[in-house]
Amino acid sequence: MKILEVKDLTVKLDNKTILENINFEVKKGEILAIVGPNGGGKTTLLKTILGFIKPYRGKVEILGLPPKKAVKTGKIGYLPQKNNTPKKFPVSVLDVVMFGLVNSKLSKNEKLQKALEYLDYVGMKDFKDRPFSDLSGGQQQRVSIARVLVAEPEIIFLDEPSTGIDVVAQESFYEFLKKLRDQKNITVVMVTHDVGAVAKYVDKVAGLNRYLHFYGSPKDFFKKDILSKLYGADIELIVHSEECVTCEHFRFKTEDKTC
Amino acid sequence: MLDVLTIPFMQNAIIGGILLAVLLSVLSIFINIKNWSFINVGISHATFGGLALGVYLGVSPISLGLAFAITTGFFIGYISKKGNIHEDISIGILFSISMALGVIFLTLTPNYTSDLFTFLFGNILTITKQDIYLLVIFSIFTFGYLYFFFQKILFCCYNEEVAYTSGINTNFYYYSLITIIAVATVLAVKLVGVILASAMIILPAATTSQMFWHYKKIIITAVLLSIIIVFAGIFVSYQYNLPSGATIVFIYGIVFFITIFVKNIIQVIQHGSS
Ligand SMILES: Nc1ncnc2c1ncn2[C@@H]1O[C@H](COP(=O)(O)OP(=O)(O)O)[C@@H](O)[C@H]1O
Ligand SMILES: [Mg+2]
Repeated sequence: MKILEVKDLTVKLDNKTILENINFEVKKGEILAIVGPNGGGKTTLLKTILGFIKPYRGKVEILGLPPKKAVKTGKIGYLPQKNNTPKKFPVSVLDVVMFGLVNSKLSKNEKLQKALEYLDYVGMKDFKDRPFSDLSGGQQQRVSIARVLVAEPEIIFLDEPSTGIDVVAQESFYEFLKKLRDQKNITVVMVTHDVGAVAKYVDKVAGLNRYLHFYGSPKDFFKKDILSKLYGADIELIVHSEECVTCEHFRFKTEDKTC
Repeated sequence: MLDVLTIPFMQNAIIGGILLAVLLSVLSIFINIKNWSFINVGISHATFGGLALGVYLGVSPISLGLAFAITTGFFIGYISKKGNIHEDISIGILFSISMALGVIFLTLTPNYTSDLFTFLFGNILTITKQDIYLLVIFSIFTFGYLYFFFQKILFCCYNEEVAYTSGINTNFYYYSLITIIAVATVLAVKLVGVILASAMIILPAATTSQMFWHYKKIIITAVLLSIIIVFAGIFVSYQYNLPSGATIVFIYGIVFFITIFVKNIIQVIQHGSS
């Protein structure tokens, strides 16, 4: 069953074409990773899907509805790339997670239990009464993820969720997303730079750089012609062995020479 | 000393002043977290044009003041949604024109020059029973609105995009909050005048957010502090024959700076000993 459909989508910002003729579909329960170079239009794609940006051409449907109607169902979760919350925002960590339940019909006590359960899930329960603005970027990110998940959405959009989370925690974070999908059949659409994780945890990859250069399963993604088309011809891949393609140490030379 | 409480117009002043103190200090949390002081200054100054036009035309100044305030609030709100509000010259020009028109209307109106001073600086002793009824009704409405929607409004302030994707009608809360702030500002004009009305709605939470980080404590202390300050201001201005609005705002300002000063001292001591 398809839960997200992007059809013939072209997006222009300030008369500049950012996305051109994008087509893809996501089925319920799939994990999709959107990858591509900086400025490739990943954030713009998410924002268009969610209805913040009006397409120049084409259409988007989530849960069978146009974006502005779909968000009203409360079944969508969104973690933006930049958290532009005002500095010194006067709420506790627990308050932030409770934001995820503002539309919930649960009793106050049930909401509290649920918020604590999800804070525990992301390993931030001990911080519940601390000022949200005192946390590090990575800690805020985890709390925000709890805020997204506590609403038990059907589909979540995560824009570079692992920013600020260290590499070890990233691994368990993707593990966690996969578990979430397996248990609750949540659909996950995430933007990531962590190409290594892509192979291991996701069902589909979208390679985006103005055009959708690639859409398919991760095993087909790691081919030199696709990667060079996406990231530019001069990219040099370091692939130690066949296994390394699927191991988490897979990196591009430009980012990391340790592989 | 407390005989001032038995004078009827002083009773009106005190009841009206305290009602306003409670209303404005609760709203001040939003002005502070959204950095909306500019919106508020714009609204209060634009109000002056409406009030003066009302006097000139001989129709209810307060209705025209409200109309000007809400229109300006929507306009500034719209601009600030589009981009960086502080870079937008049109806002500054808009409320300057409104003030300039206000001065012209008032000087064109025979026998009304005394109103200029009242509008600019307020006169708490002109608060009538009718003003108090209006304040009570509006306060009940505002607190009802906040009682039901506070979490959602706070969520919108936290991150509007996220609130929107969670199914919250962010535009509704944005513009309804601006409207409420605009109306509250017009009601405050009677007390402290257009020039100082914004201070009444900026300073309470600006002060108590120096003391506490959580919004509940910020609001509760802002309310208590404002009641004390307004009460003290009315009393001092009566005792020494000073303008009430200026006295109240002056005390607010002093308390604000004392708070910052004490906070810095505490920080220096804590750093010094650790
Ligand atoms: N509001 C905007 N107006 C004009 N151009 C924009 C705007 N937002 C982003 N862009 C441009 O769109 C392109 C894609 O940006 P973005 O979607 O943030 O890329 P990514 O998330 O893949 O790094 C960039 O070239 C950026 O400069
Ligand atoms: Mg981005």
